[in-house]
Amino acid sequence: MADPGYGPYAVRDEIRAAQAALWRHIAEPGTWWAGAQRVAIARAARDADGCGFCAERKQALSPGAMRGEHAGDASLPANVIEVIHRVRTDPARLSRAWFDAVKANGLEAGPYVEIIGLVAMLSGVDWFARSLGLELPLLPEPRPGAPSRYTPASARDHGAWVPLIAPEDAGGSEADLYPAGAIVPNIIRALSLVPSEVRVLHQMAAAHYLDLDRLPDPTAHRALDRMQMELVAARVSALNQCFY
Amino acid sequence: MTGKEVDLAAVNGAARASSGVEHGEELLAFTETLMRGEPATAERERLRALLSAEAFVDLAAVIGSFNTVDRIADATGIPLDPMMLAMSAEVRAQLDLARFASSANTTTV
Repeated sequence: MADPGYGPYAVRDEIRAAQAALWRHIAEPGTWWAGAQRVAIARAARDADGCGFCAERKQALSPGAMRGEHAGDASLPANVIEVIHRVRTDPARLSRAWFDAVKANGLEAGPYVEIIGLVAMLSGVDWFARSLGLELPLLPEPRPGAPSRYTPASARDHGAWVPLIAPEDAGGSEADLYPAGAIVPNIIRALSLVPSEVRVLHQMAAAHYLDLDRLPDPTAHRALDRMQMELVAARVSALNQCFY
Repeated sequence: MTGKEVDLAAVNGAARASSGVEHGEELLAFTETLMRGEPATAERERLRALLSAEAFVDLAAVIGSFNTVDRIADATGIPLDPMMLAMSAEVRAQLDLARFASSANTTTV
């Protein structure tokens, strides 16, 4: 990220570095999407904030019953735009039936997981900026190159919608994926079908919240005390209607 | 964990003043206003006067971080971890978390 400008705020170096790493990550070729497509995915996520169809659907009792067209960049397939906009604006009401329909429309689990990683982590940076009352940082310029199309052989069905890598199976190229000896919650495993998304998520989570190995320690905290951190975290998740 | 009492009703938007957390009322007011899509200018300034500069940035970081992980959890359909499931039954019942659609991803709820 070119200096996004944090205004009057003394933002920790760890957060600056994590957000800069995410911006490089968005711009680079990924596992299933090229750099230009990844930046387009990020742009579409921002477009979703002003999408009339998304706003209307969010008010509907049943989001699946709504038909309409999403606003914004049309350079990506409609099925991909649907995923980006739903995850950005109405993630609480995603369902297994919706995910199965997305797959039936041609989006495989690997490319899907990469989109989820990009949209979710971009949303985190955007909510950070909104919290500080700052403009959203400009998206990066895409970098050239082809996606790797790498699928980890150790990813398996562990009860989520998408295959995951369990810590005991994380060997070879994925040996670095999880901290040795740490309890690895499902939220950290969730993107492991695309290991590069997990690596960036680790850095983002450690910088903005806590390192995985400090999570079980109730005395671990930032400048906010742990009870303040957990109160805000729980309220955000309740407002997002997130059970996990 | 810390020996302090916290009113869990604050998580669902009730009992703000009695949450048992320092500046809990102001933290919740800011979080709720912001998450409604409003600028939260007055709430932000009030908190900036109460918290250190570093703590206010950390507040923004927590709000950002959980807007990331909530989306990942909901969009990948991960179930609640077995250990958390076993430990959190009372809290889940108290907060009525089963009302959230994503509870369907954890089959023993």
